[in-house]
Amino acid sequence: MTKREVHFTLNGRSVTYEVEPRTTLLRALRHHGVTSVKRGCEEGECGTCTVLLDGVPVKSCTVLALEVEGKSVLTAEGLVGKDGKLHPVQQAFVEEGGIQCGFCTPGMVLTTYALLKKTPDPSEDEIRLALAGNLCRCTGYTGIFRSVKRAAELLKDQA
Amino acid sequence: MEKKSMIGAWVTRVYDPEKAAGTLKFTDDLSFGPELLHARAARSTIPCGKIVNIDYSEALKVPGVVKVIVGKNFPIHFGIYLKDRTAMAVEKVRYIGEPVALVVAESEDAAEEGALKVRVEYEEETPVFDAAEAMKENAPLVHPDLGSYEHVSFVTPVPGTNIAQHFKIRRGDIEKGFEEADQVLEESFSCPQIAHAFLEPHACICLQDPVSQEVTIWSTAQSAFTLRELVAKGLELPLYKVRVIAPPIGGGFGGKAGITVEPLCLAAALDPDIKGRPVKLFVPREEVLTTSWVRQGWNTKVKMGVKKDGTISAMKVELVFDTGTSAEYGANPVRSAGYTSMGCYYVPNIWTDSYGVYTNKPFGGAYRGFGLPELMGGLEAVVDAIAYRIGMDPIEFRLKNLLKPGLPTCTGMPMPPHALDKIIKKVAEKIDYHREESPVRKGWKRGKGIALAIKAPAMPADASSSATVEILGDGSVKVLAATMDMGQGAYTAYAQIVSEELGVPMERVKCYYPDTAAQPYDWQTVASRSLWSMGMAIKRACEDARSQLLALYAEYWQCNPEEITIEDGIVKCPKLDKAEPIDEKTQNGFKMPDGKYKGGPIIGRGHFVPPDVVYPDLETGQSEKSVVHFTVGAVGLDIEVDPGTGEIVVNKAVAGYDAGKVISPLNVKCQIEGGTVQGLSAGMFEGIYYDKNGKLLTPDFTDYKIATTMDVPWEIESFCEETPEDPSPYGNRGVGEHSMISPAAALGNALYKAIGIRIHQYPFTRERVYMAIRAAERGEKDFWG
Repeated sequence: MTKREVHFTLNGRSVTYEVEPRTTLLRALRHHGVTSVKRGCEEGECGTCTVLLDGVPVKSCTVLALEVEGKSVLTAEGLVGKDGKLHPVQQAFVEEGGIQCGFCTPGMVLTTYALLKKTPDPSEDEIRLALAGNLCRCTGYTGIFRSVKRAAELLKDQA
Repeated sequence: MEKKSMIGAWVTRVYDPEKAAGTLKFTDDLSFGPELLHARAARSTIPCGKIVNIDYSEALKVPGVVKVIVGKNFPIHFGIYLKDRTAMAVEKVRYIGEPVALVVAESEDAAEEGALKVRVEYEEETPVFDAAEAMKENAPLVHPDLGSYEHVSFVTPVPGTNIAQHFKIRRGDIEKGFEEADQVLEESFSCPQIAHAFLEPHACICLQDPVSQEVTIWSTAQSAFTLRELVAKGLELPLYKVRVIAPPIGGGFGGKAGITVEPLCLAAALDPDIKGRPVKLFVPREEVLTTSWVRQGWNTKVKMGVKKDGTISAMKVELVFDTGTSAEYGANPVRSAGYTSMGCYYVPNIWTDSYGVYTNKPFGGAYRGFGLPELMGGLEAVVDAIAYRIGMDPIEFRLKNLLKPGLPTCTGMPMPPHALDKIIKKVAEKIDYHREESPVRKGWKRGKGIALAIKAPAMPADASSSATVEILGDGSVKVLAATMDMGQGAYTAYAQIVSEELGVPMERVKCYYPDTAAQPYDWQTVASRSLWSMGMAIKRACEDARSQLLALYAEYWQCNPEEITIEDGIVKCPKLDKAEPIDEKTQNGFKMPDGKYKGGPIIGRGHFVPPDVVYPDLETGQSEKSVVHFTVGAVGLDIEVDPGTGEIVVNKAVAGYDAGKVISPLNVKCQIEGGTVQGLSAGMFEGIYYDKNGKLLTPDFTDYKIATTMDVPWEIESFCEETPEDPSPYGNRGVGEHSMISPAAALGNALYKAIGIRIHQYPFTRERVYMAIRAAERGEKDFWG
């Protein structure tokens, strides 16, 4: 199939990918070595391929790569500081037992990041609802709930 | 100042920063270059029948398709306990979804397209889908050749039937036991197959060198060495010619233990036309359920006899596991449930039959809890029911009949020390079990329930572990211990052990993911055995490394080894007022006072094998030491139910286990939280269903529901008692699986309290609970629908 170019911002830098029209954003990113974006189901059900598209969490398996023309894509690697320091949201997941196998973690971290941008002090219900599209089989979510609360604190301290 | 022990220290987990950053590479994330081929299976569309013809001519026309391989090209039987499985169907298909051909192509898309174009002609035969039907005489045989399959000595298939495994307990005088009883109750409970639902699907890359014939496998494997052994035996290669590399895995729960999808990928990689090129098999989500294991479906029947004073006098247990088309691993949970069939109780007269039964469905194997959720899902309900029947409080009944330390289990083995009585009381207190409280939500019904848990590592008697600990030239430490850290946190606990034993900071200890070419042997990462068995090996390796280092320093400084300490990476001899950080001398050798170099890289080694397990007698199940140890615990739930919808909400969940010694508190807490929710999710939502022709109806997360953030308690209260285990590195015993054993049973007991009717079929979905409430309103006491 003929390939076409798509230009977008990936973690703050401009990139150009050549993709087939049928290629999903998930597959395009992974093909280019951005492997924090996981394929857990490729059916839009598990949330392990979550990216932030212009700041909004989307499942990259349900987005065609060509659709992100001119947009900004943020993945978990993009949250890490140039000095290698984890973003406070990532740090909170480490501190509070929000991580076990790590497969859902990049998606969880990004969804949490987006939630706290919009709602810096979320309620229990807001946290549950925001993360409802990201499955986790290891933690039972309780460690993730703690992590979100902790991330909110860390971000407040930082502000 | 007393040095703070690392054993039991609250530390964060190693590898979590990389996981949070998304930089840790899983199997599917590895690159293999342009020579990489991709494989995809074409699958059977009928549940049972002979293969008449496979036409893959159209598949070969798809651009990029390189080759199509069929079952008869690769007819090797694989399996850990019972070799009843081939990578693809050979001559006969046994379930819808069974691989019948493997399409190998230059791209995943081409392989997928090719797989859709394979046409198979079958001669259909009569299938059997229900385990009870399959046990009947004259039932169609799923494996007519069962008698010819190789198996280990402790697995007992019954050739000529669908019974792949039959485990027996015969202890005491069962008839006399029931005669002595004043009350006898017989109940049965059942549950469909359920799925591990780890978020990382299986993936595997295989490569065979065309010259040396050496095989390298990168796989989402819990058990690199067992995989190596099974592949080497199957291919008749020496062990050193099979190398298994297991990158981090995204959850296992037993579903990536033993040998899973690897033979299918090997079928391509070993093909003469392909050999030399790496072949990747990525198993899409909808195929995960059909290509690899699920938890076996089960029906547990318990007949219990109790005296007036509440003493259990006899118990008859029949467990029927629906193992689908293969019992290669599933035969062992059948045993595990069998030799633990007394549960947490002293039962003087007990008779158990535990069966693993073939049906024409995808196959069941290892899943967190390994036979015990299946047993306790029935037994703990019967215990509650019989306590009510004789007018005794269920907590009091449990405490009265508790399998106290020293009393014989159903195999005759004396129960090792534990603090279950204390745990039960604590759990009951924490959920305020004896206080009837009004529902938090208007119009809902509230109930509290408790269930006990028990499990031993279910493994061969001689499951061993080994490790090496190398002190590097700057005092940091490289640990080779081939446990798979799949999220349970093994490497964090190992780093704590090394830090404790060698006196180096934990941040300077590194554990590596399994690679059979680099690391010493470990049987498998299963059975909640690692921190116990591998923990022994690592502790011994540290002792070895430490004594080597101290001996060298003693000669170097001219003092006694006992006069030297290592603290925070600094080697000290207070007597001589000497102190220095561990440095390159530990790598390059010490220049001794006599002017000669001595030493060289310091590598400590340690190994461990359980010394005294005796396989239970095949006729009676009796053994003086049937297992290495038992971990026990209890779950308490405070729930309420919406009678209008059947929705269950957990107000409070409490779980406590006797861990022997908690080495890594954050990990133990998180294991209990995660396992409790996995158990609740199973209890409320999960079941694998088929249509009447055996076609899977639940191949995705839309139809196979697992708990989301909307469905779980906001927090789970957990605690541990610490009755030391012996032998054990620090008195610790396994806790990884245990938290999943009894939440579903506790839920059933709480539900009964809330709605006054006993539901006999898991899971307790909204629909089922709603229907049960309607039945309760009609005055019924049991709900079977």
